Amino acid sequence: MGQQHLARPVTVALVEDHQVVVDGVRSWFGPPPSPVELAAQGPTIESVLGVEADVLLLDLNLNGTMVIDRVAELCQGGQRVIVFSEHEEPETVRAVLDAGASAFIGKGRATRESCVETILEVAADRPSVTPPMAQAIATDEGPHRPQLSDKERAALLFWFQSMSKASVAARMGIKERTVRQYIDRARVKYAAAGRPAPTKEKLLICAIQDGLIQPDEVTVYTSLAAQSPPDRG
Amino acid sequence: MTEEIEQVAQRYARFTALGAAVIAAVWHVGYDLTVTVTGWSSFRWPWLSVAAWLVYSAVFAVAVRSLLRDSRGPARIVEPALVTLALDIVVIAALHPGQLVGISDWAWGSVGWIGVMLVWGRPRWKAELVAFLAANAGIMAAAMALTGTVDRVSISKYLVVISGGVTMQLGYTWGCHMLRARAEDAVVLARRLAADDALRESAQRIHADRLRRYAAIRDVAEDLLQRLADGADPGDPRVRADCTAGALRLRRLITEREDVPDRLVSTLRERIEAAERRKVMVTAPPFGHYLPGLPDGVREDLLRAPVRALDGARSRARVTVSAMSTMVSVAVVADNDDLPISATPVREPSGVVVTYQRQGGEVWVNSIWQGP
Repeated sequence: MGQQHLARPVTVALVEDHQVVVDGVRSWFGPPPSPVELAAQGPTIESVLGVEADVLLLDLNLNGTMVIDRVAELCQGGQRVIVFSEHEEPETVRAVLDAGASAFIGKGRATRESCVETILEVAADRPSVTPPMAQAIATDEGPHRPQLSDKERAALLFWFQSMSKASVAARMGIKERTVRQYIDRARVKYAAAGRPAPTKEKLLICAIQDGLIQPDEVTVYTSLAAQSPPDRG
Repeated sequence: MTEEIEQVAQRYARFTALGAAVIAAVWHVGYDLTVTVTGWSSFRWPWLSVAAWLVYSAVFAVAVRSLLRDSRGPARIVEPALVTLALDIVVIAALHPGQLVGISDWAWGSVGWIGVMLVWGRPRWKAELVAFLAANAGIMAAAMALTGTVDRVSISKYLVVISGGVTMQLGYTWGCHMLRARAEDAVVLARRLAADDALRESAQRIHADRLRRYAAIRDVAEDLLQRLADGADPGDPRVRADCTAGALRLRRLITEREDVPDRLVSTLRERIEAAERRKVMVTAPPFGHYLPGLPDGVREDLLRAPVRALDGARSRARVTVSAMSTMVSVAVVADNDDLPISATPVREPSGVVVTYQRQGGEVWVNSIWQGP
């Protein structure tokens, strides 16, 4: 499923009420041929509804109103949503991830490379963990939080607070590839522990296909799979 | 102000309780002792009445001790209450037949005050006092029935003493209870007003602080816009860096949400501002609005090394705080070339662990506290 997107540019619909940010994002994507293409943009959610795009890039604060409660509704249709906001506090990040958002990009630290990388990973339904997401997942103490191993939690926290995954690897005395594995597994577990949403399902299926996680480690996924036959009887 | 009102409420509780003791004492000495001595001949066994008077005094002393201590009756009241009620019977037994409800039959009119003292300040005082007074009235009614003292005069005396006693004892207790309840309401209200004042003062302080920072950023932005209007090149990396720094500061102000910032957060903000005044570009994601309570010394140990890294940053720094209910982690990544670092984690006596790492021209300083 993910590999199909790599053959053509990933299309993005952007909901953003500040023209300067729209221009900035467009310049990040660059002129064609580019791996990412801005298919549509508008200042409200309604202005891009109906547009066929692989990823919806959503600013949370539109004309002074927070639209956190619209994220679930957007994800329910299977739309991959990446939130792009300066409201990076863990509570907000957890709320949008729980609602089904595939990723959260903090405006404060985003760079062209990190933004494009996140969009490509999300379009391919691969786990993507930005620093604000790492912090939000690692510090979640809610009743439905996933059981993270100590190393997974440490990798997330260090990734949020350090300069790079390489520095996390040096700190933990492991390979950078292993650091990525810890972080990605934590993301997958987090998706599995939250409320079900089609976008999370896609992420879980890909994670299992890639061998990142075993089916029996994902209770939400298996229960969804169990529901798929028409007659469960 | 709140303290004064609390003191007034405490005095109300104390002196109304002692008021009950004074009434009981005056009654016990002024009436009970007087009729025992002056009515000596009306007793078959006057020394038994004296003994009853002394037992009453002992129970009185127990109750007064408790009232003096915490303006409440004793923790256990069943035993002293039963002993006190038994005095009704003892005094009746000490009297000559025919003296029941007479002037020397002092116990049944007095024990109600002991009941008042015993139930004082207890949560179920009303039910307990009513039960005590009813038992007292019941004992006397039973004695009258058993001894055949049912003439009109005796019944009238009984009704006058019982209704008078009950009215005074219940009335005093209820009135004082209302007085104490109103005083406690006043304390609650005073505390609420004081909390509102503190919150308002804190909000004003935070607002003033934000206005000051907005003003500082506005000056920087004005200067920047002026330079651009005067022909500064937007492509110039220095102009772009200044624009980015201004935007970062504005963004941080917009996303700050703490009503009352923790001292750790306040200190970090101060150092971030100081760094920005030195033209260091600082990124600091919102610190969130939950930090656990920290034992003495932890906050200082958490801040020391990261703040040193931030203070020595040459041109850029990133400040982060992560917190859970039993963990706080503060980190600074900065292009600080001079910071002495330790290759191994440094363990502070407070339990804070500080680690250092240099990589690609940057230093990463991370202090972590993990609670029990």
